Amino acid sequence: MVDDTWSSALHRLWQAASRAEEVSALADDVYAPLLATPGVHLVVGTRWEDPQILRYMRALRAGSDSPVITATARSVPEAAVREPGDEPVVTRIPVAGLDDAGWPEAELLRRTPEATFVVCTFRLDHRGWASLGVGVDASADVAAVEGRLAQAVDVIVACHTGIIQRGREARRGADDALLAEASLQMDSSLDVEETLRRVARIAVPAVADGALVHLLRSEGPEFVSATHVAVRQQRALEEIGRENLWLAALLARRSEDEDTVFLSGPELDGSPFADTAEATEATEATEADGDGDGARPVAAEADRHSTVISISTLRARGRVVGSITFVYQRPEARLPGSAFLRSLATRAALSIDNALLYELRRHAVLSLQEHLLPSQLPVTDQWDLSASYEVGDPMLDVGGDFYDAVPRPDGSIALLIGDVCGRGAEAAALTGLARHTLRTLLEQGTDPGTALSRLNRALRQERASRFLTAVVATLAPQADGTALLTTCSAGHPSPLVLRSDGTVSEVLTGGLLLGVLDDVSYESHEERIGPDDTVVLFTDGLTESREAGGAFFESILPVRLAALRGFDAAHIAESLTQQAKAYRASGQDDIALLVARWTGVPPGADLLPHPLQLVKAAR
Amino acid sequence: MNSDGLILVVEDSEEDTEAIQRALSRSHPSLHVEFAPRSHAVLDRLLDPAAPTPDLVLLDLNMPGVNGLTLLTNLRANAACASLTVVVFTSSTSSAEEDACYAAGADSYIYKPVNFELFQTVLRGAVDFWMTHRADGRRAAG
Repeated sequence: MVDDTWSSALHRLWQAASRAEEVSALADDVYAPLLATPGVHLVVGTRWEDPQILRYMRALRAGSDSPVITATARSVPEAAVREPGDEPVVTRIPVAGLDDAGWPEAELLRRTPEATFVVCTFRLDHRGWASLGVGVDASADVAAVEGRLAQAVDVIVACHTGIIQRGREARRGADDALLAEASLQMDSSLDVEETLRRVARIAVPAVADGALVHLLRSEGPEFVSATHVAVRQQRALEEIGRENLWLAALLARRSEDEDTVFLSGPELDGSPFADTAEATEATEATEADGDGDGARPVAAEADRHSTVISISTLRARGRVVGSITFVYQRPEARLPGSAFLRSLATRAALSIDNALLYELRRHAVLSLQEHLLPSQLPVTDQWDLSASYEVGDPMLDVGGDFYDAVPRPDGSIALLIGDVCGRGAEAAALTGLARHTLRTLLEQGTDPGTALSRLNRALRQERASRFLTAVVATLAPQADGTALLTTCSAGHPSPLVLRSDGTVSEVLTGGLLLGVLDDVSYESHEERIGPDDTVVLFTDGLTESREAGGAFFESILPVRLAALRGFDAAHIAESLTQQAKAYRASGQDDIALLVARWTGVPPGADLLPHPLQLVKAAR
Repeated sequence: MNSDGLILVVEDSEEDTEAIQRALSRSHPSLHVEFAPRSHAVLDRLLDPAAPTPDLVLLDLNMPGVNGLTLLTNLRANAACASLTVVVFTSSTSSAEEDACYAAGADSYIYKPVNFELFQTVLRGAVDFWMTHRADGRRAAG
């Protein structure tokens, strides 16, 4: 019957062990059944570290439901000899023979000096050991008690091993998940600052309590971002990252191939991360000397665990892009390993490098785009000219839209706008070719249709693999105060004319796009415009801006343009661009607009082309 | 790892509540965890003189009704709650949201990942920090 009870208890213990998150959770299932063993009047367990620090003692006495727990750590040097080897050891010692100096359990057993202490010592892990013992009287079957102790210890050790194993697996799982999440988050932004913020946000507080990121510039490390689990300390960290001389010197000293380094204790002396007393003194001293950098010591404000920092170099594609400094205010056991930090730093470095490269490329794209457009538009008293160019998505390559306005020998002015199919270097090359060919021809007085035909021929001769659309319009002032608008289109959206009375009409032209067939001629369309009438040329980025419901900006463009009656060319160009941008939910094409308002100043009032002035084109 | 303490978790999602319960029972088995599934009742709970004051409030930002940010603002407007440590957690990585939380008086802003093991690690990091530094946090906030 007794054995059945113990068997049941042992079964319950195994079940508890399989669920336990820490070994102390087994205590109730161990102590009570042992105490129920005939002849046992006391169960006492101890837990030790390194090998003589008593962390914990728990005792349950017969007749009591509540255990007595002593959880104050103390050093018991004489207990070091009790430390077991790899296998549990069961011993029996008369209570009267226990030496208090090495046996803290003795004071609990003293009430029954005639009893025997049967105790099993066993190793829990490389850092600690434990004991489980019982006080028995003469009625006990000591051999059976020893057997039960050994069985209970087997379960405890197996439970502890399982917990450690599960902990390792969970930590590995969390590390893997963190690296995956970090990659995902960092890859979803190409903005350098946003990427850096995400690096830090993912790591804090999972990896560390604080993080500082520096980028390596030609003049040295530059602070860019700080994160801390506590917002108040985040402000202090930002100040440290920006201004602290100790950290700046440390980062500047690091060599390119240096691996992750951890600093703690005296290595942090004089730093804002030094432990409380020293940090406070150091800060006060430097401030008193007048050369303090003002950063408050992080460790001094909230430190229960010694502060540790780690510095990892951010290296991508063979070059150093910066460093990430983690600040830890947590137990040593919860510091990440070097391999993990290296892995995280590599991912962060790649993301940062991608963002930096993207920024360079974006700058190059915008710069190239600007060079494909005229830096200035001609201005006379007769024409109010303006242009607008909006890059649809800077992430994409150089767009193929172009425009220009060219004064002609006969006193007229030529407007041109076009769109090369596609983006990238090839499109950019064709854009340059098209604009300069048209500009040169029109400047020499070539009529719009001939200019387009000759551009078409040039494209065919160059075996250009892309098509392009364009529209060319000349505006010739007439003696009666009107101007003759002559328009030729090569597959391009038709220009609009905003009359001074607010009506809007389309300039109906049509022609084959450029670069498709060898011999193409273009018909001209002529009409008169009056004073304050405005001609608006644009690319399909404007008309094909599309709202969420599917409608195109083209459908409302005439109404929107009519509403701009009376405004100057610059306002019209800018306003239409902004309206299309606000309108569109999809469509990321570039938007180019060229606007010319005829002032009605008759010929002779201005001696074109010589008095031409140039003003910077609106972009 | 820390002995007693009380955490009030303001979370409306049953799934997330279960995940937080599971995570904290593993990392901090001796902590008492109280759940407040409805944000509008939180202020009354915190002002109830008979109820223990939590050492830490974990606040989910994305809740129906009174959302986390509004609740945080309301808490900070009340002198009795001004010194509570409030950790906001969210699945968003928006920097504007982070700034808004700090402006509203959050002590921490933590990202809530989908992966449970990682969530447990993040939660453990935040709870460990604040349970260890609770006295310092209040002194500084005061």
